[in-house]
Amino acid sequence: MHPFAYTRPATLSDVLALLDKHGGEACLLAGGTDLVVELRNRSRRPSIVIDIKQVKELAPTIGETERGLRIGATVVMADIEKDSRIRRHFPALVEAAATVGSIQIRNRATLTGNICHASPAADTAPALLVYGAEVNVASVRGTRRVTLDQFFVGPGKTVLKRGELVTSIDLPLADNRRAATFTRLTRRRGVDLATINLCCKVEAGGRTTFAYGAVGPRPFLATDDSGMLADPRASDAAKDEILRRLLTKATPISDVRGSREYRRAMLLVMSRRALRTAIDRLQDDRFPSPSTGGQDDRFPSPSGGGKGGGA
Amino acid sequence: MSDPIGASVRRGGGYDRVTGRQKYVGDLHLEDLLHVKLVHLDVARARIRSIDTTAAAAFEGVRCVLTSADLGQPAPRFGPVYEDRPILALGETKYHGQPVAAVAAETKAAAEAAAELVRVDYEELPGVFTVAAALDPASPIVQEPELRPDDPLRRTNTLRERRYGWGNVDAARADLVVENKRIIARVLKLPLASVRIIAPDSGGAFGGKQHPKYEPLVAVLAQRTGRPVRLVLTLEETFQEVRRTSCEIHARTGFNADGTIAFQDIQSNFLMGAYADIAERVIAKSNYLACGPYRVPNARIIARALLSHTTPSTAFRGFGTPQVAWAHESQMDAAARQLGLDRVEIRLRNLARKGETFVPNDTPADGNWAESVRKAAAAIGWGTPLGPGHGRGIAVAIKESATTGASYAIVRLHWDGSATVLAGTSDMGQGARTVLAQIAANELRIPVESVRVVMGDTAVVPFDLQTSASRSTVFMGQAVMRACQDIKTQLGYDSPPLGEGRVGVSSTDLTDLLQTRFGAVRGEVIGVGSMRREYLAEHPLGEMASFYEFSCTASEVAVDPETGEVALVRHVTVADVGKAINPQQVQGQDEGAAVMGLGHTLMEHLILDDRGRIKNLGALDYRIPTSKDVPLEMCSLVVENADGPGPYGAKGAGEGGLMPTAPAVASAVTEATGVVIRDLPLTPERVWQEIQRHERGRQAGSDR
Amino acid sequence: MIRVTVNGSSHALDVMDSTTLLDLLRDRLGLTGTKECCDLGECGACTILVEGRSVNSCLVLAAEANGQSITTIEGVASDGRLNRLQDAFLEKGAVQCGFCIPGQVMAAEYLLRQNPHPSAADVKEGLCGNLCRCGAYEQIIEAVLAANQTSRESLSPSGGGQGGGR
Ligand code: FES
Ligand code: FES
Repeated sequence: MHPFAYTRPATLSDVLALLDKHGGEACLLAGGTDLVVELRNRSRRPSIVIDIKQVKELAPTIGETERGLRIGATVVMADIEKDSRIRRHFPALVEAAATVGSIQIRNRATLTGNICHASPAADTAPALLVYGAEVNVASVRGTRRVTLDQFFVGPGKTVLKRGELVTSIDLPLADNRRAATFTRLTRRRGVDLATINLCCKVEAGGRTTFAYGAVGPRPFLATDDSGMLADPRASDAAKDEILRRLLTKATPISDVRGSREYRRAMLLVMSRRALRTAIDRLQDDRFPSPSTGGQDDRFPSPSGGGKGGGA
Repeated sequence: MSDPIGASVRRGGGYDRVTGRQKYVGDLHLEDLLHVKLVHLDVARARIRSIDTTAAAAFEGVRCVLTSADLGQPAPRFGPVYEDRPILALGETKYHGQPVAAVAAETKAAAEAAAELVRVDYEELPGVFTVAAALDPASPIVQEPELRPDDPLRRTNTLRERRYGWGNVDAARADLVVENKRIIARVLKLPLASVRIIAPDSGGAFGGKQHPKYEPLVAVLAQRTGRPVRLVLTLEETFQEVRRTSCEIHARTGFNADGTIAFQDIQSNFLMGAYADIAERVIAKSNYLACGPYRVPNARIIARALLSHTTPSTAFRGFGTPQVAWAHESQMDAAARQLGLDRVEIRLRNLARKGETFVPNDTPADGNWAESVRKAAAAIGWGTPLGPGHGRGIAVAIKESATTGASYAIVRLHWDGSATVLAGTSDMGQGARTVLAQIAANELRIPVESVRVVMGDTAVVPFDLQTSASRSTVFMGQAVMRACQDIKTQLGYDSPPLGEGRVGVSSTDLTDLLQTRFGAVRGEVIGVGSMRREYLAEHPLGEMASFYEFSCTASEVAVDPETGEVALVRHVTVADVGKAINPQQVQGQDEGAAVMGLGHTLMEHLILDDRGRIKNLGALDYRIPTSKDVPLEMCSLVVENADGPGPYGAKGAGEGGLMPTAPAVASAVTEATGVVIRDLPLTPERVWQEIQRHERGRQAGSDR
Repeated sequence: MIRVTVNGSSHALDVMDSTTLLDLLRDRLGLTGTKECCDLGECGACTILVEGRSVNSCLVLAAEANGQSITTIEGVASDGRLNRLQDAFLEKGAVQCGFCIPGQVMAAEYLLRQNPHPSAADVKEGLCGNLCRCGAYEQIIEAVLAANQTSRESLSPSGGGQGGGR
């Protein structure tokens, strides 16, 4: 472990002042599930680590704004899974949060940390993207809000500038009926990093939005406005053609988790499945809240976890 | 008192293990301890030009920085059979992660920081990372020829070539010859354990328990500094320390029209890594039974132990048997397909019958192996209809158990009717402690709770060669049983143990007997027992098998044809254990072995880049099964015919469940998809690739 | 200087800022029941409860736990009496080499506190962050299911991670 000074400020202004002062020498600590590993393997060597868990403005709360929900910077995945409002309005986010690591990890890892870490494979990113999440940013210079789509730049890179931190993530409520689902491909059924992950949202008006992870330098959105994908009468071949077009944005690479060729092929397979699930959910008024556990009883797909199975 | 044999007595040592009191080596508190950090390079093979330790040695808290230059001339080498491994890389590194220097310091942090300051000037060299490269005469030579000056093979990468055989393969006629050039069990490149290896201080972890790797290094550091020294490997480093031997096996098998085997012609090439460790024995022993448990009239087996610039390999559960079983079972399936025979039937037709010699001049078949196969087939529902995308498979494997060896035990029967068993076995999780207590309790007719088993302290326990090869129940079990008999002879009470169905002396009788004998001054009766098997000079392995560990696995899978994902619906293991002294522990061992086997079948493998570096070190990208990866249903059965050489007819157990896992699951995947896969593990991507290849082949076929 | 309550007793300790909670427990408090293996949050051997929540102690800095209450495997049995889970682990033969067991018990304890009547699938999900190289999963799952059947006495005299009682 690289030596550093630990500090636990109580107010946001203290945090901002510290960030302003130490800049690139400082690391923010929330859940620590990524940071502590990086400190140990010395891939990050800050001189100061700023723990934001006791900051009163950053309390782990999920609040309501007039536009939707506001998720505080220290809210952990396990709380996302449990929150009844998120379960009702943003079920795909619950599905995504439930796949992040083990329960021990989800008791610690924050949603905001997952986003700020900006891993191309971050599981919550596709869900947040299709729900149009926005990121609230603060620094000594003031605050700003950016869409999550603008937020991601590349692997480990976001638009955050020196001295800035994310204070919360906003999830706007929809004005029309919609249904979404999250799914991923992994090498084993238990805890794993995604080989690919994706989210599909279908709106009552016919618009279909996908977001994909682990198949490019950053998670990205792909939208079909033609209505064809959501149309139950459209042929599979026609849908495939649209999906293939959407997927041209994907630029997967080969690594230890999978080859480019496999990832490409699975993008289409998983997209079809997610689309079917989302359409089913849209048509099902009784669509229940998503399950957060025991996916493996939905047999046989180990990693899609039958999450595609839906209702 | 109930019969302790065949009862699922609670694990001895269990209380400490569930309460966190059990001290593993890394948990021992040592005063005045120094911490060690290894220095390695991110290359496989490299020439070391120079090492500058000045900055590291000057770092605060550092007590010693060691390189091979500090070890004298000629630099010491060690190894259980071949003394080929230096303490630190000598002139060049021979595999990714080989330590080139070590730092001992007052704190872990200081050791780590100083290790980073060691400057190594090196030049990367081309290496040998595959079987093909090891066999290529143009490749670099891994081992210095001067280490084996009299060996004609010294200028090759073959450490040893063994040939076994009988009959005449070239003259044998067959109706069908199944030849698989690609039966590649490249497979099993597993690191040994996910548990850290820790040497507490010089002398601590050196015994015969395991063959040393870094222990000599730690000993030297302790000697130099005069302090206790602890080396805790990171999980990443344990991956670079040791692994299971990988191999490529080329089998040519002749079959008669009725499915019986006419000949086996096998060439096994095992890539053992940079140093021999015990791998050559693994290769020798497993290939000795490369024809499996079958009646094979003509056989030729050529097994090569090849050196390479990869992590040294060693013994791992199954001792090479999973690799050879993957080959002979794939051949049986191929023959069944081509001859239109049922996969169970072809095995039944070829299995050696009990009492039948199946390897000339060795122990005849010692179990009713067909019974195991029938049991497994019935439990998996062989022949009943399958759902779409489902398939079933079955496979067998056989392991040559312990050959030679000696185990000694002392049993002390105290005046109050309790007993202490002194045995050199180590209880590494298999439950030897419990089983030995059960045997002593049964023989002395005292409650199991009155027996204490003392192990693992060479100051008090008598000699035991080693805890390996599933030998403890048989060897140490016999020794304990004989020590108890010794006590009974001394006491002059000799009624049979409870296990034999007669009501024995009650424990009050025994206490009376002891008290009458010893009176007020008290005392105890000490019994001694042993089991030995000597070397047999003319036998290729040193001695015949004392028993065979035979195992049969049947599995049902469901395959997602679009993604290649394999889900295990049901998994059955059958172990021929002779007698299950503790059924719960036998079950735990067998299911645990099966889960471990599913690891190398479905996900575990080390991935090397083209420069021989391991790309998936550590827990993140080297996947092992989790609680969600076990089969939906698991069932472990035993065959108990009391036909083993151990107490009550027991044979060894604990490796069996792992040995036939891969071929059983692969056979099921073939039935589910129509695709034959010869390479492990069966990752979703590999299964998908093979399905794609198959589809393309079919389309090309129909286009024509 | 940090203050932590571990298994009911409070400690004031001087630690380096870079010390993990795992190191604090093992090296400073001698509580070696909590195991160290992957140091990545992947194996679960280091699982403990912090303020009643299961966490990987290899991923928590000791300083982060300042003022918090911690339960380790050593705080689970009271007065030498095994907790229902520990007892069930022994009864079902779920303990082989034992290295993963403290972590498994702590993860299972958290699971049962969250969900007193889990299904087999819930148990598999709840324990999938705890690797067992001996492959004793079947027996571990059985043990957790059995523990939830037996009476709810013993352990957790208080909820909320106070574990050891006082
Ligand atoms: S040591 Fe903490 S999770 Fe492995
Ligand atoms: S019992 Fe050995 S690792 Fe689980």
